[in-house]
Amino acid sequence: MFGYVTANREKLNEEQERYYRACYCGLCRTLGKEHGAKSRITLNYDMTFLVLVLSSVYNVKVVEKGEERCIAHPLSKHDYWYNDITKYAGDMNILLTYFNFLDDWKDDKSLVSLAEAKVYEKEFNQVSKKYPDKAGYVKEKLKELSIIEKKGIMNPDIPGNCFGDILGEIFAYKDDENKDKLREFGKTLGKFIYIMDAVLDFKDDLKKERYNPMIGTPSNTYKDILNILMGDCTEKYESLNIEKDKELIENILYSGVWIKYQIKKAKEKESDNE
Amino acid sequence: MSDPYEILGVERDASEEEISKAYRRLAKKYHPDLNNGDVNSTKKMSELNNAYENIKNGTPYNGNYQQGYNSGYSFSDFQSVKRYISVGQYVQALNILGSMSDKSSQWYYYSAVANAGVGNRITAVNHAQMAVNMDPYNQEYKRILNVLQNGGRTYQQRSQSFGGLEDIGTMCVRFALLNMFCCWCC
Repeated sequence: MFGYVTANREKLNEEQERYYRACYCGLCRTLGKEHGAKSRITLNYDMTFLVLVLSSVYNVKVVEKGEERCIAHPLSKHDYWYNDITKYAGDMNILLTYFNFLDDWKDDKSLVSLAEAKVYEKEFNQVSKKYPDKAGYVKEKLKELSIIEKKGIMNPDIPGNCFGDILGEIFAYKDDENKDKLREFGKTLGKFIYIMDAVLDFKDDLKKERYNPMIGTPSNTYKDILNILMGDCTEKYESLNIEKDKELIENILYSGVWIKYQIKKAKEKESDNE
Repeated sequence: MSDPYEILGVERDASEEEISKAYRRLAKKYHPDLNNGDVNSTKKMSELNNAYENIKNGTPYNGNYQQGYNSGYSFSDFQSVKRYISVGQYVQALNILGSMSDKSSQWYYYSAVANAGVGNRITAVNHAQMAVNMDPYNQEYKRILNVLQNGGRTYQQRSQSFGGLEDIGTMCVRFALLNMFCCWCC
């Protein structure tokens, strides 16, 4: 949700890169078709990961693929592919984005955020009607998260688990025998994302006296904690028995999720050396 | 152990918000990361965290304990905790633990196990580490810590074999662009 679940491009071969990018482009294209051009801006690679995992678990074939030019790339054609899962991921993106804008409005009273939320309201209502249970659940969990943050709960597991539940719900695509395993996988991934975000914001939040559940935990344990959380996540991943796109997915889980962290550490080192 | 309200510098009838604000103000002042890792800061931070936790948990403050001194609570408290844990009733175990204001290594051990049971992964590892720190020769504490950390080590090894980012500079630019708008320009 915060753009953490992305691939380490340096470790992908050309074919994998093209395929990964084409998945994103397919998602972007589907969003545009279903929800209008404005919704394409909200997209990030996290949803691409959702498409890859669900497509693999459900062995969903590509519905359409092709080449096109688009607004972002008017000069040259590029590949895209999508399937039924892509549509679902696009819808989930609308759900999360709308709640995100609402959240920003509540936090910073930013009129821009409120205006943005309004822009997506129609699309959000459409998606909510299609997935009433999911929309309702996500809304409740975000409310819960907001209360936890307001109460200043310093146990990082509590907001982490709460946010994890949201992603778990999103990964639980259908009500079938895969649901529970996918939910557990989503939960552990969501928890990692939340805690990683808290870790990266920790110093800033500390200085600005803002809520951050990692403040009560010594910072020299952060890396170990994040590894433990990903350890849990990859354990759940193994139980999915994924074959298709395994290399790409594992690139993301074992390497890509650390990119923002590594970039931040590198920047800190640089500023220390200055 | 001092009065937690005194440590935070708030009145007994302070609101939740006032208590949170006081904690964050003091955290900024004492956090070792903003004090060059000073040992006294670490101690102060630990005291602050305990005080905040006790107030949040509604842990009764009775007056004069020394940390680690046993007779502040009854033997039967730990027996109850053990019993609840053995039948998987971790929430009840945590409730009893939450009412015990004095935290011995044994307290941290049981807390680690109970927290692990309810999926409080991070707290479980932190508390298991505390138990080991307070009583380094206890094999059972070491074992629990090991079990809790094991998945992380296995993951880390695999993760490291993927290799990190070689070209951080270019990656920074690309990453920023990727997340702004679909822009895989190269």
